Amino acid sequence: MLDIRSLSKKFGSGDSAFQALKSIDITIEEGEFFTLLGPSGCGKTTLLRLIAGFEQPSGGQLVLDGKDIATTPPNHRPVNTVFQSYALFPHMTVAQNVAFGLEARGTNPAEVAPRVDEILGIVQMAHLRDRKSSQMSGGQQQRVALARALAPRPRILLLDEPLSALDLKLRKQMQFELKRLQRELGLTFIFVTHDQDEALTMSDRIAVMDGGTLQQVADPRTLYDHPANRFVAEFIGEANFLSGTVAGGKLSLIGQAPVPLPRGADASGPVTVMIRPEQVVIGAAGGDAITADGRIEALVFSGTDTHVTLRLQNGDTLSLRAPNNSHATTTFAEGEPLRVSLPIGALRLLPEDVADAA
Amino acid sequence: MPRNPTAAANESAVMRAETRRRWSLALPALTVITLCSILPLGVMVAYSFMEAGQYGNVQWGFSLEGWRAVFLDRDFFDDSYIPATAHLTILARSILLALATTALTFVFGIPTAWFIATRPPATRAYWMFLITVPFWTNLLVRTIAIQEVIRADGTLNRLLLATGLIDEPLQMMFTNGAVLVGMTYVYLPLMVLPVYAAIEKFDFRLAEAAYDLHASRLYCLRRVVLPLMWPGIVAGSILVFIPALGAYVTPRLMGGGRAMMWGNLIDLQFGQGRNWPLGAALSITLTLVVVGAMVWYARRAAKGAETNG
Ligand SMILES: Nc1ncnc2c1ncn2[C@@H]1O[C@H](COP(=O)(O)OP(=O)(O)O)[C@@H](O)[C@H]1O
Ligand SMILES: [Mg+2]
Repeated sequence: MLDIRSLSKKFGSGDSAFQALKSIDITIEEGEFFTLLGPSGCGKTTLLRLIAGFEQPSGGQLVLDGKDIATTPPNHRPVNTVFQSYALFPHMTVAQNVAFGLEARGTNPAEVAPRVDEILGIVQMAHLRDRKSSQMSGGQQQRVALARALAPRPRILLLDEPLSALDLKLRKQMQFELKRLQRELGLTFIFVTHDQDEALTMSDRIAVMDGGTLQQVADPRTLYDHPANRFVAEFIGEANFLSGTVAGGKLSLIGQAPVPLPRGADASGPVTVMIRPEQVVIGAAGGDAITADGRIEALVFSGTDTHVTLRLQNGDTLSLRAPNNSHATTTFAEGEPLRVSLPIGALRLLPEDVADAA
Repeated sequence: MPRNPTAAANESAVMRAETRRRWSLALPALTVITLCSILPLGVMVAYSFMEAGQYGNVQWGFSLEGWRAVFLDRDFFDDSYIPATAHLTILARSILLALATTALTFVFGIPTAWFIATRPPATRAYWMFLITVPFWTNLLVRTIAIQEVIRADGTLNRLLLATGLIDEPLQMMFTNGAVLVGMTYVYLPLMVLPVYAAIEKFDFRLAEAAYDLHASRLYCLRRVVLPLMWPGIVAGSILVFIPALGAYVTPRLMGGGRAMMWGNLIDLQFGQGRNWPLGAALSITLTLVVVGAMVWYARRAAKGAETNG
């Protein structure tokens, strides 16, 4: 539905030029909850503003429903935005704010009022329709901003960190409501966040960005289980990185005897291997695994489980989780020895990071 | 809930003390207002009801002659009263010129203010300085400067003659147009300053939001930009209109005796005319016109705010 093709954006020119986006390629499907995730300054807002039309691309195409819209002005794009600052019109009431997009487009006045009522009902703001937008709490403004952007029935709704100004409890609630709303309306959302939890829980697919480049586009599960590189692995969830070597199709890791490569992996020479803490098995594992001994360096209780930091005999450290359920048999203490296993199926070989190697 | 009587008494004592404190805080302001505003105005009102002295000044004694002369002239031949059409003409000209000045400062001031407010913050102070620099020079000097530009052998005429666009100098001095040009130049900063403040305060993300919501530039201007800048525009218009209505130096120098304004008429009575009661009555009339216009505007604005919700 929306094809982002080799899209790039350069701010300024000459020596002060700054490449904010470097040749981005993404295809966004109809009805998808698509998230742009990345650290602050990676270019998420810039990409969103290009889609909205507030910025002109320096290169590439933006194809919506088969038409290149890269040069269409924002008011003629079937795309509406929920701004991070909400940007509600302070001199208008809630209902006037919501009606704005319809009236600006010249919608038949007889159709405006019913649509405004309908949308205010959906976001549960009907009781505040005549309130001035400046006299509302953050959560209420958020809902009005959402209603205002939804009213003109956009093909795509753009949301730039819409929840970042809310407190934790309200944020969780709005995450849930946004997701429900998106499903019920069957609308395409492009959602920007720097919060990986938010991205994982809400999205159908996530594009991870860093420094103006696309790192990986995948559904949350794939992103977590099969990160394309060290940046993605580190940015989403926690990860152990171990250095190993591959020779003759066998992997040597943490000073143990070489084992067959994980299925589908192919490499030779020095490699970085990633394993999630919760994949590390305490004790010996059934099936193919690398087993090693170490000494417990630190224990941090965190409710459902305890975070264990283990110093392996070869000097590597490993982070793992010990569940705190009542049938857990092992008890832990700092300084005690512990045997762990790394199931081969849970090992991920990552490409050597160019930036790290330098 | 029944209230404790001593608590209520205490409360009222506290409130009385609070009231006293407020009044004492307001005292300096009240003094200034009384000395600089109410007292002179009272003197003017009093003068307007006195008799004219032979060599200017006023004489004790109640008289309505001053007020009569504002509206009615004594016929030269048969002593009957006829409407003072000359005064009406001058009042009408003053109002029209003040309105035109306001309109012109608006037309030139809005783009100027917009231009300055959209410069990088570091250079804004520099532009503001340029706009306010004429303010630091004497009004007389400024007016003579603009005279220099438009008089018969002035810069503009010489320029036009040199380029061959005209064959003989244009007579621009001592016309309503000359007064208008002079006043627009003099009062422009008074429009630019409040409008600039309003534009600078304006959150341009709102314009972006409007644009995102399918508004054309014009629609955005009408529904979002103008309503939010309206207070600044009104302030600028009032700041220009009121002094323009009572202007004296600029119309005197640019209009001479031919394009006289109300302020010059007042000046005449206190000077050559030696009719202080008439001068005072003319001043009060001007004040009433201004106050009337302000009340009318305030009423209308209040009504507008009500209907807009
Ligand atoms: N108008 C602009 N001019 C120059 N640089 C900009 C402009 N807008 C954004 N940038 C730069 O582009 C980079 C990406 O910004 P942005 O897209 O806002 O990041 P994010 O939303 O991911 O935090 C930042 O380094 C920012 O400083
Ligand atoms: Mg951003």
